[in-house]
Amino acid sequence: MTEAAGGDSGAPHACWSCHGPITAAALFCHVCGAVQPPRPLDAFARLGFPGRFEVDAAEIDKRYRGLQQRLHPDRFTKRSPRERAIAESQAMSLNDAYETLKDPLKRAALLLERAGRSSPIGENRTIQDPALLMEAMEVREALAAATDLAAVEAIGKRAAAEDRRCIEALGAAFGAGELDKASRQLTALKYWRKLAEEIRGRRAAIAHGAG
Amino acid sequence: MTYSAKLIDHYENPRNVGALDKGDPTVGTGLVGAPACGDVMKLQIKVGRDGVIEDAKFKTFGCGSAIASSSLATEWIKGKSIDEAETIKNTDIAQQLSLPPVKIHCSVLAEDAIKAAIRDYREKNGQAAAPAAEAAAR
Repeated sequence: MTEAAGGDSGAPHACWSCHGPITAAALFCHVCGAVQPPRPLDAFARLGFPGRFEVDAAEIDKRYRGLQQRLHPDRFTKRSPRERAIAESQAMSLNDAYETLKDPLKRAALLLERAGRSSPIGENRTIQDPALLMEAMEVREALAAATDLAAVEAIGKRAAAEDRRCIEALGAAFGAGELDKASRQLTALKYWRKLAEEIRGRRAAIAHGAG
Repeated sequence: MTYSAKLIDHYENPRNVGALDKGDPTVGTGLVGAPACGDVMKLQIKVGRDGVIEDAKFKTFGCGSAIASSSLATEWIKGKSIDEAETIKNTDIAQQLSLPPVKIHCSVLAEDAIKAAIRDYREKNGQAAAPAAEAAAR
């Protein structure tokens, strides 16, 4: 079984209720109608999108809502506890997939994983990219030194602009199949996101007079 | 999650915070990062003619465990020769601070920072890097 295509969406699984063959992404058995547990699929395969960095956000929303509607707890009030539990776990898997596809950071990490690369932002990984780290160090120092909201907002604007720039660069890198570049941009994006998080904390501290 | 007294002490009273002159040929600078948590750590050493680390400074933006790990690292390497300092393992740091398993990577970062600083010093002074310096875990 190859995971390169994001899972075995075409291979038949057996329905837990009637044992009939069903596809991995199926929410319900087309024979007996039983709700199906989530199979091991990645976010693209689960929501039925091609593995590309550029996505149609409105289309993801639409498809996700359509699928979630079919799993709504109200539809399972007269079903067995087992079916309610299956519907719930399927709904949670769809949530995870939705969040992955909607977030450029998670989407990029998944695409690198699909290409057989370990995520550059995975646990226990350390990097020694001087340009990237020097910049990260400088902005964190500037943020630590910022004593008023105006100074914090200026850094916030820069973080937001860099965030957008990284996402654009990720799109270009994946589009050109340049995975090393994509990997580096993903790392940079992670650092800018971390800065944005720190900015929120700093803003709150200043607002509460902790300067 | 409970933290050890040693860890809390290094976090609340970090030793050797600051910077050395990057342009000084006797100063080696190591800059490393852990992207998973967005941590960035700078560790600098000032090396005497005898190859002994006379001074060490660090600056870390990260969690308490990362700050404590780098603080302890600077304390340990001061007074050691660069060859000795290079043998410090992340597990020594993790053990000393009783780092919880989810924070082990903070000690990895400190070990990498020591090695990077030593490598930078050697490169500045035309010395070949010791083969062990490249053995950092991926």
